[in-house]
Amino acid sequence: MAKRPGSFSSVAQPVRSLWSRFAFATLIAAAFGLMLLGKADVLLIERARMVVLDALAPVIEVASRPAEAVTDLMNNVRDLRYLRAENARLAVENDRLERWQHVARRLEAENRALRALTNFVPPKEVDFVSARVIADGGGAFVRSVMITAGRRQGVSLGNAAVSGEGLVGGVVEVGEEYSRVLLITDLNSQIPIVIERTRDPAVLAGDNTRSPRIIYLPQNAQVVPGDRIVTSGHGGVFPPGLAVGMVTTITDGSIRVTPFVDWERLEYVRLLMTGADGVVQPESANLPPFSVMGPENTPRSGSVLP
Amino acid sequence: MMRPTAAQRLDLWIRQSTPMALTSVLAVLSVVTVGIPGYASVVPGYTAMATFYWAIFRPDLQPASALFLIGVLQDILTGTPLGMTAVSLLLLHALALSQRRALVTKPFLLTWLGFMVIQLPVSIMVWMMMSALQFRLIGPEPALFQYLVTVLGFPVVAWVFVRIHRYVVR
Repeated sequence: MAKRPGSFSSVAQPVRSLWSRFAFATLIAAAFGLMLLGKADVLLIERARMVVLDALAPVIEVASRPAEAVTDLMNNVRDLRYLRAENARLAVENDRLERWQHVARRLEAENRALRALTNFVPPKEVDFVSARVIADGGGAFVRSVMITAGRRQGVSLGNAAVSGEGLVGGVVEVGEEYSRVLLITDLNSQIPIVIERTRDPAVLAGDNTRSPRIIYLPQNAQVVPGDRIVTSGHGGVFPPGLAVGMVTTITDGSIRVTPFVDWERLEYVRLLMTGADGVVQPESANLPPFSVMGPENTPRSGSVLP
Repeated sequence: MMRPTAAQRLDLWIRQSTPMALTSVLAVLSVVTVGIPGYASVVPGYTAMATFYWAIFRPDLQPASALFLIGVLQDILTGTPLGMTAVSLLLLHALALSQRRALVTKPFLLTWLGFMVIQLPVSIMVWMMMSALQFRLIGPEPALFQYLVTVLGFPVVAWVFVRIHRYVVR
């Protein structure tokens, strides 16, 4: 065999390309394997996610500062323009709220008196922590935010996150200092609710659009646009009575709710630490935390009640 | 020939790891809040743009293993099922590599067109895999919008990459 200078590389080249192909196929297979493991809710995967999240959250927090400063500045400039109009509006609103305060005081007194009469057992007082939203998004398929409170602050799986306007979502991942809140608009979010006016129980199911749908509404329920939706507290995960949203569109077989939360200006959330009696902890059973709140099987689009 | 000094080697190493470092930074940036209405649901796929660019112009600096790690990192950050972005980036990388000869010396418009064509099956695949993992058909609109934003945003991001490619990576 002649010793040509190229003879080594003529052997090494195909081997190397074969090796790189093999490595590529292995990586693709590993990615699919991760997907399946994640779907099976393996505890190890959950742990790994939390560790990485905790490690990277400070970086994201720092990165979110400049964007936030710019947004704040723009908001300030915009607010300045409408200062006078805003002032007038607030004065009117203040009048209206003062009237409501009178009503609320009267009702509170009445409520207390009636409770005393009926030996009513009041629900437990709810502790809360406030946290800043440091990352949103998740691209086209996930609606979730990351917040700056975790296990160390007493947050646990299933805690309700609310903003000043209403329910934001529930905690689905808890790290040491950070956690992730699944928004009520996410595909995997199913929350037991009641129609405030008629007390009809139902489930609010997100579908990644801005307006989640109401499913499992009783057949004879009378829902009209403008009805307020509040959490029912069924399943024992979220406390009852949290404002969620308002019914906006009713079409054949689908009732859509516009949440009260202003998603674009979601800067701080309050986490209600209810003790989460109804949450299946991943340590005891390999179930996602939200499975207790909705029905056992995720509904298919065809099974919506009219 | 002189052996390169330690400083030179470090310099080279930094230059050569810039592409992957940049892609990692973009993965983190894609979850940062910006306060633009509706932005969160149509965040352009920055990492996809970067992956395509480096697969075409410097495939030697884009090892598949690094792409895999970046994909998993982005999945953790965004909360998508683990491995989803990793698969999409690896696939995009492989598809871009296979068409590299046709795209590398062409004017930018053709490269852009190449990205549009190659990203399309990748986006469709991600959408179908997401649907399969959820056991139901997800509306195609979010995937479609994200695809459009990603391919339309490519020239802007590529402009930055060209600068970095020219002055930092070399």
